[in-house]
Amino acid sequence: MADKEKRRSGAAPPGMPDGKATKSDCDREFLSQAGVGELLRGAILKMVEARSDDPIGFLADHFCNLASVTEPGTAGCGDADQMNNGPQSAQEQQHLNRALWHLRLAHHSQRSAFSNNVCVAYDLLNSTGPRRRAAEVPECPEGSCNDSQTEVGGGVRGGLYTQTLQCLCSEGGVPASTSAPLLRRLHCQDHEAVPYDVFRHGVLTCAVFSDYIRQAQRLYAEVCCPDEGPASRALGMAVLGTLREALETSQGSEANCCVNANTKSNSCLEANVKAKRYLEASAKISPYKLGQAMATAQTRGPGGDMDAKEFENAAAELFITRVKVLS
Amino acid sequence: MSSSSSDVLLPVDSSIKPPVFLHLGDTEPLSGVCVLDVTLPFGKTVNVEEISFKNHYTASVSMRLLRTGPPSQWVTAVRDLPLMENPHTEGGSQDYCCIHRTQMQVDPDHVISVRLILKQPSSTWRSFSLDDIRILPHKQQDPEKEVSDWLSDLTLADQHTDLEGLPPPQSVSSSLQQMFALTEVMMQSNETTASIGRFHVDGCYDINLLSLL
Repeated sequence: MADKEKRRSGAAPPGMPDGKATKSDCDREFLSQAGVGELLRGAILKMVEARSDDPIGFLADHFCNLASVTEPGTAGCGDADQMNNGPQSAQEQQHLNRALWHLRLAHHSQRSAFSNNVCVAYDLLNSTGPRRRAAEVPECPEGSCNDSQTEVGGGVRGGLYTQTLQCLCSEGGVPASTSAPLLRRLHCQDHEAVPYDVFRHGVLTCAVFSDYIRQAQRLYAEVCCPDEGPASRALGMAVLGTLREALETSQGSEANCCVNANTKSNSCLEANVKAKRYLEASAKISPYKLGQAMATAQTRGPGGDMDAKEFENAAAELFITRVKVLS
Repeated sequence: MSSSSSDVLLPVDSSIKPPVFLHLGDTEPLSGVCVLDVTLPFGKTVNVEEISFKNHYTASVSMRLLRTGPPSQWVTAVRDLPLMENPHTEGGSQDYCCIHRTQMQVDPDHVISVRLILKQPSSTWRSFSLDDIRILPHKQQDPEKEVSDWLSDLTLADQHTDLEGLPPPQSVSSSLQQMFALTEVMMQSNETTASIGRFHVDGCYDINLLSLL
């Protein structure tokens, strides 16, 4: 089809050898005016970063998002009143949704992509404030984080940050009751301004926590042999007990690892000690050790059953007690 | 030898009888030969690692061991080991000595009793003996407990405990490992986090302000 058009345009004005060139020049000009090249490049880069399973859906979402940027962005510019009204203005909600969309793009194990997305999300949420710049463009992951921080007022609003964490947990499939203790450790007051480091830590922790809970649910399914009903309490406790031991071993002699002038120079020694601790910890959750623990529990453990919820809560507790309380 | 063995070993309980000076016939003068018996607690045998003592003007020493095993017999482990270069002079007269099992002519294993024969031909030194005699037992080297304990457990993969009715340890273990890894990721992030400065009040601890009180 395109060939035919070209041939037609080429054939029609035979006296003009530049006919084809003009047409494609027009095309090129039109494309550059519309900024389509940039759009597509941005979309492809995002897609490469996210590596989602559904490329078409991803692209559709992406362009939908961009569309929602440009429309009310221009409309809400002069609407200063709207931002002060009510605890959650429509614009804030929109920023939140977009920030969450960005955070969903990459899994936390894809370090650089995840960091970029967190940066973008932070900028988005940071911009929601009384002194919002009209010409704000969301996609500037390279180094704008600190700039906007100093420009706009020190950080993301505490309430917004807490809400982000709540949404992340619930989207990750964690029931509210399970994530509540975690959020108590991570949340910020509404009047506080959250700096980037804290924001990143909170987001990462919630992402990791959702993975952890999903894994715990899978673990329960394995331990429980579903056709036989709930898992035995002894077995559940034994399995979680080995995990607790491993975690304690790996963090083990934190107290003994004295930070004095002598040990600081022995970073090699410290690394060896750490490596040895990790090896020891992982030996505790090896299949052989586990088999032993489970066999012992079966014969000598407490009676009764353990339902999924209790197992999940016990596993969550192992994680949450190790989360540093924000202060 | 390696330092670890001396840390762990304790000298064997032994009783040392008072030295017996030998002499011919009824003559009083000292013959310059003295016998010391070191006996172990009854019924106990020792594999000797080394014998240490402090010399007191003994010129040379021989050592005989009584070993068990039918028939129990005396064997010479050390013959005329010189302790003093010159019996008449002071050299080596108060040295600390140690005879290791490798210096002995026989293997000092399953020993019931040790007899030390001291000789001092010089008339300069009328009384001579060995003090502070200790027998250190021979011990098998223990493998290093530090790392190999749990490592060797890991290699016992073939020993199947009875896993009837239990979930497969492989899959349970891999789930646990992932949970462990996730927790470690979170804790690493813990360490690098800044604080929000919730309890900081700017300027509150300024020295200048305090001076206004």
